[in-house]
Amino acid sequence: MIEGTEARCRKKKQLIELKPGEKGRIVAISASGYLRGRMMDMGLVAGSEVKVIRLAPAGDPVEVLLRGYSLALRRNEAMNIILEVDS
Amino acid sequence: MIQAALIGNPNVGKTEIFNRLTGLSSKVGNFPGVTVEKKAGKLVHREKEIELVDLPGTYSLNANAIDELVARDYILQERPEIIVDIVDAANLERNLYLTLLLLDMDFSLVIALNRWDMAEARGIKINPEKLSELLGCPVVPTVAVSGQGLDDLKDSIAKAAGAAERERAKEKKGVMDYGTDLEPPIGKASDVIRQNPELVKRCPERWLAIRMLEGDEMIMEQTRAILSSPERAKILSIIQSGEAALR
Repeated sequence: MIEGTEARCRKKKQLIELKPGEKGRIVAISASGYLRGRMMDMGLVAGSEVKVIRLAPAGDPVEVLLRGYSLALRRNEAMNIILEVDS
Repeated sequence: MIQAALIGNPNVGKTEIFNRLTGLSSKVGNFPGVTVEKKAGKLVHREKEIELVDLPGTYSLNANAIDELVARDYILQERPEIIVDIVDAANLERNLYLTLLLLDMDFSLVIALNRWDMAEARGIKINPEKLSELLGCPVVPTVAVSGQGLDDLKDSIAKAAGAAERERAKEKKGVMDYGTDLEPPIGKASDVIRQNPELVKRCPERWLAIRMLEGDEMIMEQTRAILSSPERAKILSIIQSGEAALR
């Protein structure tokens, strides 16, 4: 592999852009205040791996697997989670 | 009488354990948020009377929501002798965050690794002795629904109560090291807080320092009247330079 290829293959995406089965690593939480605190308390912090399990028909809520447990997120919450995804 | 409080993440079986220990029948449900206010009950174990308080489930002590505030205010204001931290053994990683926050607060902890059967069924292997050694407090595997381990848990609560004073004098274990960026400002802010007897009486200085560095507005508000303005200015400048160092 050419040096640097690996880095270039990683894309930043919002959690809501992922399809069931896809996963990524959190690089940023763009929420603020109460929501940010609550999400971080539950283990949504930079570096955590998140996998999308399934989506409700309208894409809201979305169920994810995080640190070995399932978490349901609303669309507006999932929008604020920025992941690094291998593509 | 020993005062003990049950705390833990939502839906880990706190109320089931509370009911089993006290013989009461608080409402339990297999979903989070069933307990919204604290409930108290009593039990006698080996001739020791224990007053037990069941608190609403919480992920942290950061006061992000009203139900979390109930738990935080109770343990801060009442300072129960023993905190029984109910941890979901099948979901250890998320649950241990609250455990570390409690250790920062300098409480005498007893940890119940509840849903031990569930963890085993999922192939999760936990070494309670090792965990106990690392955190510096007793760790008891339990299965609330069948009552397994609850006698051990009562023993640990009674024992920890007697040892509480002695333990506190010992070198503290299990306190989280926040690394070279954060430890210096935590230390400096703790030093300022330590000079204020009124604050020291209320809560552990290290915990308060960490909360202030995290920008906990409620803590800043509650300490406003207690801190002198030079003390407050000192702490604000420690927070600012701490933040600047992280940029």
